[in-house]
Amino acid sequence: MRFRAIGSMSVALGMLLASTPVSTHHSFSAEYDITKPIKLQGLVTKVEWMNPHTYFYINVKDENGKVTNWALEMGAPGALQKQGWTRNTLQIGDDVTVEASLAKDGSDKANASAVYKGGKKLGAASSYSAGN
Amino acid sequence: MRFLLTIVALAGSLAAPAVAQPTAKPPAAPTPHWPDGRVNLGPLPGGKGHWNSGPGLLSETPIKMNGAFLADPSDVDKVAPFQPWAKALFLYRQQTQAKDDPHSRCQGPAGPRQFTTPYGLEIVDQPELKRILILSAGAGHSWRTIYTDGRSHPTGEDVNPTYYGHSVGHWENETLVIDSVGFNERFWMSGRPVGMVHTDQLHLIERISRPDFNTLRYEATIDDPGAYTRPWKGQAFNIPWSPVESEEFFCTDNNRYGLQHDGSIAK
Repeated sequence: MRFRAIGSMSVALGMLLASTPVSTHHSFSAEYDITKPIKLQGLVTKVEWMNPHTYFYINVKDENGKVTNWALEMGAPGALQKQGWTRNTLQIGDDVTVEASLAKDGSDKANASAVYKGGKKLGAASSYSAGN
Repeated sequence: MRFLLTIVALAGSLAAPAVAQPTAKPPAAPTPHWPDGRVNLGPLPGGKGHWNSGPGLLSETPIKMNGAFLADPSDVDKVAPFQPWAKALFLYRQQTQAKDDPHSRCQGPAGPRQFTTPYGLEIVDQPELKRILILSAGAGHSWRTIYTDGRSHPTGEDVNPTYYGHSVGHWENETLVIDSVGFNERFWMSGRPVGMVHTDQLHLIERISRPDFNTLRYEATIDDPGAYTRPWKGQAFNIPWSPVESEEFFCTDNNRYGLQHDGSIAK
């Protein structure tokens, strides 16, 4: 898929260093690839403020106008609260930009490391920590 | 409304957000005790707090780590005296990035892993009931009972292998010693390094102390003739006190590990 292909291209261009390491219930590297960063922008369609990981979903339009719904994984609600989040930080319809790592399974899923809303950068309590 | 997909090079580092942490590390204080002299392994009466998860390493000797994984797999013999099959299985779990970890499927955080599982634990001493409860906030939000009434372990057909096994405990001066048997084989007993192997022959001896108010000291001795060539002791590690209440955490609530966006199983 074009998103993934383009995402892979960006690997050569930069090195992704994630935000504050947070230990969570699964190995980051079992599910996501830190060497495949992606940046997505779109409107929030759903927020799952739930354990063990908070997910939110955004509709992203590619250069051909096709809309794809992406799932973005973050840390647990408790971990996000420690980074300044509340359950109402993201609302359906919010226009956000997300920096994330692509899923290894090739699906439209990624692990967020930062979320930008209204020009403000928010952490994502990612499960990434060096080497795992 | 603007929809736009942009793929960019993340040439710079993504610094951690500048947000305040909710609490500062509590001031140093001596080990708390109950009026009868027992060590208090929890908050002061009327207080709050829990033991946070730490990066505790289950290894016989120091080794260089890369997160939950051995930085150099050739260090494997420094971790524990593995039997060949157990070493091969441990290395497979490491090499496959712990993709099959039962913990990721919300199974019990049993064995030494209970003390490194995210979101921490509380230790509740109930001397009037002659038992101690270890409440794990993370994983399945479950608890383990340590009997301190002098009872013995069940034997023979009375053994019902479980995640936490059967635990009895006693105090040796300032140290709580927990002796456990009766484990099942459906969990991985360590989170760092992830994937340490055990069998249902595991006999686990844990020594827990509180050298100061903010520190829980944990040491495990692994006696498992099914997986190791001799009993061995992991290096003791510390678990930090967190002066806030532990949180509700049911891993099963919305666990999408191994699932694709549409909920189908990842290939």
